[in-house]
Amino acid sequence: MKTGARIAGLGWVTPLGASLDEVWDRLGRGDVAEAKIVTNPETGREHIYAPVPLKTVDALARNPRLRRSSAISYFAVAAGLAALQNAGITLTPESAARTAIVFAISSGGVVYTRKFYEQIVKQGANVASPLLFPETVYNAPASHLAAQLGIDGASYTLVGDGTVGLGALKFAEQILATDDLDRVVVVGSEECDWILCEAYREWRMARRVGSTRGALLAEGAAAVVLAREGKVDLQVHEGAPVFRKREGEAALSRIYADLLSGNGADAVIGCANGTFVDAIEQRALGRHAMGATVYLPKRSWGESFGASALLQTVVAALTLEHGLLPGMAPETVKIESVLVSALGFNQQAGGAVLRRANSV
Amino acid sequence: MDSSDISAIRAVIFAANWPGVKKLCYNLARLLPSPIDELLIARDYRRDEKVSRHMISSPASQPRRVAVTAIGVVSPLGLGCEETSKALRAGHDGVAPVTAFDVSKTRCKTAGLVDLAKLKAGAGLKRHRREHLHHPASLMMMAAANEVRRGDGAFDPELLVIGTTSGGMSFGEAFYRAQVQKKHPHERAAWLANYLPQKPVLDAEDAWPCAAPSQIIANACASGTNAVGHAFRLVRAGHYQRVLCGGYDAISEMVFVGFDSLQASTAEKIRPFDKSRTGLVLGEGAALLALEELESARRRGAPILAEVTGYGISTDNHHLTQPHPSGVGPRQAMERALADAHRAADEIDYINAHGTATIFNDATEGTAIAELFGNRVPVSSTKSMMGHSLGAAGAIEAVFSVLAIQRQFLPPNIHFQEIDPAWRLNIVANEARDAQVRRVISNSFGFGGTNASIVLEEAAA
Repeated sequence: MKTGARIAGLGWVTPLGASLDEVWDRLGRGDVAEAKIVTNPETGREHIYAPVPLKTVDALARNPRLRRSSAISYFAVAAGLAALQNAGITLTPESAARTAIVFAISSGGVVYTRKFYEQIVKQGANVASPLLFPETVYNAPASHLAAQLGIDGASYTLVGDGTVGLGALKFAEQILATDDLDRVVVVGSEECDWILCEAYREWRMARRVGSTRGALLAEGAAAVVLAREGKVDLQVHEGAPVFRKREGEAALSRIYADLLSGNGADAVIGCANGTFVDAIEQRALGRHAMGATVYLPKRSWGESFGASALLQTVVAALTLEHGLLPGMAPETVKIESVLVSALGFNQQAGGAVLRRANSV
Repeated sequence: MDSSDISAIRAVIFAANWPGVKKLCYNLARLLPSPIDELLIARDYRRDEKVSRHMISSPASQPRRVAVTAIGVVSPLGLGCEETSKALRAGHDGVAPVTAFDVSKTRCKTAGLVDLAKLKAGAGLKRHRREHLHHPASLMMMAAANEVRRGDGAFDPELLVIGTTSGGMSFGEAFYRAQVQKKHPHERAAWLANYLPQKPVLDAEDAWPCAAPSQIIANACASGTNAVGHAFRLVRAGHYQRVLCGGYDAISEMVFVGFDSLQASTAEKIRPFDKSRTGLVLGEGAALLALEELESARRRGAPILAEVTGYGISTDNHHLTQPHPSGVGPRQAMERALADAHRAADEIDYINAHGTATIFNDATEGTAIAELFGNRVPVSSTKSMMGHSLGAAGAIEAVFSVLAIQRQFLPPNIHFQEIDPAWRLNIVANEARDAQVRRVISNSFGFGGTNASIVLEEAAA
């Protein structure tokens, strides 16, 4: 029984666009997502985040199943469908039965959650809308994607911090190994709202208007089709809890050491986002991946939590496909292995190594 | 420091059963750089086989049997297995008026509530200088973890798989209310840190103490069963030897009003499978099960409470909140769990039903049970006694199923008056029954059309 997992398809919906090639080119040019200012209507305080341009997903708004959904579900479905298309897979009832879904979520449907609770607080529990509540559930986006694809088997939603995308890949690898499946569609998705910006700013993680410090919160989704055959070998660490911030470096170091086994990596797709994470990641990489070229995509599209680590994974897979990092001159360095590094705000660390399928 | 020094220190850590010493060693190891890093790796990665745990290891050539070596539960029916077992046998009604938030404008005004004061005072939780910042969900998880440790002190989990639906939602509600009221209480940052769903799991680990990675499943009301099922599959396939699994959820205003807005909750008593059922009441709680490869558990003399033998999952794409009327989703989950356990329907002795008492759930689940099992197998919904604890429900009901196997009784379906004429089911009505219980199937179904079933059995020789 083969237990390894390979990446067979990629998709994303980012503040820089939704096409793999277009976004890759924009990353190469060093483009940065346009930030939007939102105001906390209760206090008047302004926040910024990087939105996904709605034109990228507006076609899905006419889908009967999604017509009442929040943006997080549009992003998720769009990314999932794009990844399957990228893999060249058109699901039939037979192949859908051998396909599973694993979702990564951090804040979830925060727009509808805030709106629903706002109705309770300001108008009373007796007028809170039953149309909003079902979309507040963490697994609502996964349910919509399952319905789109006709998947009636395994569908899981995992929750966590910015590392949860790698957790979802690990979970997918596990069910691919233990269940009778051909593929798993792994999707991470996130949307933004002023309450989320307020919360992370209160926590001193989110960037203020006009500042360059702190994480630029962002929307987005990424999807990876894991299968037994594919272009890229994936080795995902099971992750580690980080009970105190000062333990972060040791946790990341252990993860890197486990994944690299002393071999190092040619490139690193890092998780630095303008917060305490940067220094911790830099020190850990300095110990275990000294010669690797480090690329930090969150400088371009911000921190999108549940989608973040999967977006990094897509960048890593595209790096192997192109043989170079975004913006890197051709033939600068031969890239055969890429380390994806993730340290979340809420006590989790993770990592993965991607290699060309024929280079192991 | 050479390897012999590290081995010596490791031996001291493993020998130390005093939690204070053990925790100090963990904290030291977590803080210090290499070569103490090596010590940490050695500790975290110890297992009987020499396999690297961060990668999928080669699965066992033969599927392994999976034992439940310890259980822990906190629910409206009691703190711990003893209290809970007595309440289950007595058919205790754990539903009470909600006082934590305003219910004057909701139809439903009751829920199954955990006695938090008693939990803080008597569940063996250590005093903690920041304990007032812990979410109730964290307290429940820590208490359930304590009971597992008391039941099997040598159980050292390699992974945690935990289900939940709402994490620390009430802290998120407090944060929003503070915005509206333009207040700036000093707890605000702590509310955020303790709002996220992984926090109660990490709190339980920190209190244990252990440092295993965790997977938090949020598959709505099936989350707890999904967590047990996934953990079971990992141990059976030989990827892990010891996995701690379960679920938790604490009651919150938003979720309470949400079910009320859908008219899924009732102002009356919860009457699963009854002709006059009018809906569910919510509940809360936490439960954990220590799963271990059977032979490994036997070698170290661990208690074997039961075995997990099957798991089935299905997704019903009919509607986000309503199951397909045919009952195809629940039926597929149960069929897959039975097939996974290599059991026929007539080998099952008890069905712990999802049984929320909503019109739609019971109609579809009742139909599926009647089609698969006829009316031979006794059925009850223990939610009739404690409400629906959402992400915790599947784990709590798995613990109830273990108790039913161990203590040979069928928990009752209370407030039962008359069977819905749509199906003929053998309901364990109102009073517990003594019975030979060798095999149980436990169901959980949720929003998003997610359905899960597990099969638990008495541990055979």
